[in-house]
Amino acid sequence: MLEADVEVDRRDFTVRASLTVAPGERLALFGPSGAGKTTLLEVIAGMVAPRRARIALAGRVLTSTGKSATAVPPWQRKVGLLRQDPGLFPHLSIRDNLLYARRGRAGRVGPAGPAGPVAGADGAEGADGAAAGNLAELTELSEILGIAGLLAAMPARLSGGQAHRVALGRLLLAHCDALLLDEPYAGLDASLRRTLTDLVVSLVGQRRVPSILVAHELAETQAFADRLAVLDRGQILQAGSPSEVVLRPASRRVAELVGYTGFVPVPGSGSGSDRGSGPGSGSGSSPGSGPRSGRGSGPGSEETVAGVHPDRVIGGRHPDRGLVLAGVVTGCRPAGALWEVTVRVSGSRATVVARLPEAAPSEQEIALTALDPPCFGPDGTAVGIGETATVPR
Amino acid sequence: MGLAGTGVIWIALLGPVIALLTHLSWHAITTSLSAPGAFDPLVLSAESGAVTLGVLVLLGTPLAWALARGGLPFPRVWEAGVLASLLLPPLVIGLLLVFMIGPYTPIGHLLSGLHLSATDTFLALVIAQVYESAPYYVLGAQAAFSSVDPRLEQQAALLGDPPRRAFRRVTVPLAAPGLAMALAIAWARAMGAFGAVVIIAYHPTGLPLQIWTTLQETGLPSALPYALVLLVVALPLPIAAYIWSARARGRRRG
Repeated sequence: MLEADVEVDRRDFTVRASLTVAPGERLALFGPSGAGKTTLLEVIAGMVAPRRARIALAGRVLTSTGKSATAVPPWQRKVGLLRQDPGLFPHLSIRDNLLYARRGRAGRVGPAGPAGPVAGADGAEGADGAAAGNLAELTELSEILGIAGLLAAMPARLSGGQAHRVALGRLLLAHCDALLLDEPYAGLDASLRRTLTDLVVSLVGQRRVPSILVAHELAETQAFADRLAVLDRGQILQAGSPSEVVLRPASRRVAELVGYTGFVPVPGSGSGSDRGSGPGSGSGSSPGSGPRSGRGSGPGSEETVAGVHPDRVIGGRHPDRGLVLAGVVTGCRPAGALWEVTVRVSGSRATVVARLPEAAPSEQEIALTALDPPCFGPDGTAVGIGETATVPR
Repeated sequence: MGLAGTGVIWIALLGPVIALLTHLSWHAITTSLSAPGAFDPLVLSAESGAVTLGVLVLLGTPLAWALARGGLPFPRVWEAGVLASLLLPPLVIGLLLVFMIGPYTPIGHLLSGLHLSATDTFLALVIAQVYESAPYYVLGAQAAFSSVDPRLEQQAALLGDPPRRAFRRVTVPLAAPGLAMALAIAWARAMGAFGAVVIIAYHPTGLPLQIWTTLQETGLPSALPYALVLLVVALPLPIAAYIWSARARGRRRG
């Protein structure tokens, strides 16, 4: 179990975040560049001093400020950190890189180790046993990681993907109590990234260590995490399952961060009922799906908007499946195997982007349906789901 | 064109060595070096050079490390201190050392209280050599340490190494080729130290001074063999260091 309650100053804002990650759980911290994600990991790893924090890992307090201040140094934390640069030691072979933490620990224990006054023969036997254990684990892990043939090579000979496999193996052989991944695979191509992510996921599950991935690409966090926390300017805006965060963003800002590009005024949304939403309605986990019929009344429809995600739009009018939007195509360009169509919505200044299987020529009139769009009140908090949202009560 | 130009410069730089080898006669070597005590300057230079290197490693390495990792307040001031002994002409250093540690200075008094003297002694020779070679070692070692990625040291820490152990297991091995070169250059400077030495350590006579006095007393031909000896003593370490560091870098490339 990793518990972190951290407050750390950055140049232009303060990062305030509180996380709990269970053994074997994979938490992803998602947010734009400069949101404070890496800072948070560095505080947990003990490389950055926080203003105020309490960090506990596997029952040990690593950092605590206040009356009985504790700051366990990085080398005693047993926290593994993987960055984009695999950071292999260039003067050591792959085998020595993998066993780096083991060799160091063996050196520290030695004949006068914590075992107390042991006879020389016993000590040697223990060391031999440890060495055999190391070897067995090294062999097994390098098979799993697909680096068994590289043990004698030097790091400079490795490809980027191989170096990352070794770096991961080195952390696992160090028997870390937590695994922190700071956009480790950002520089690699998509298929390699996928393979490595799957590898981490299976090994983290096997070893039951809490792990945190930091990334600024949503797909990457979804491939990894079973829980997603959205961080923006040092604040956790929402935490939940990846699909929950994407489908039910707690606020307009979260929606923007997870890829909602169009915000369309909801026709006939009642302004009066919106006012009733207290601060409590901001919890995005409330799966309140308001009634879909256009029951809301009165002017002020500008105040509630529906978020439109390009990937959650289908062509045609399907009032039973979400919000129907009619408009004029203003642009169209290929995006992968789809077409990214920009549409100016009739009767408002809003434009939405939709990724559709077929191209649409400019100036063409088009009807789209945004599937179950999340709606946001004037203060930006979520007010429900549907064609015309009302406050969930 | 470029190759030819580079070749000319290379030959010009090697010119003195070529001149030495072409002007040495076997007869001159044997007569000069068979004189009684002819190897004393060599032994003295090697001994004082070894002590100088020890002092440099012991005192210069931490300074170079601190300079490289920016652990010092006002780093420019510290660097200026190192550069001072590089930029001052050795002769001037020698003169100033007399005012600093000569027999009539506070430090001189202190030393004589310990039955030591920093004028015309082995100690004086070592001090003069340290002043002439230290900047070469410190600046070279600083560059060697700077070339080690601090993130590797951080990684070693996260893998369980306290700073000292990370320094021993990661920093030193990675900086070793550069450190060896810095040490080798410092050795060559210490062996050839003359300017400061001639003022505060005229006696006992090391190799450079032996060359100077032989030149003064018996002329150029009999001084040349000592020049050869000086080269033979001063150069192997730099050459070995160069070869070793090139090979170490090669190994790292896999």
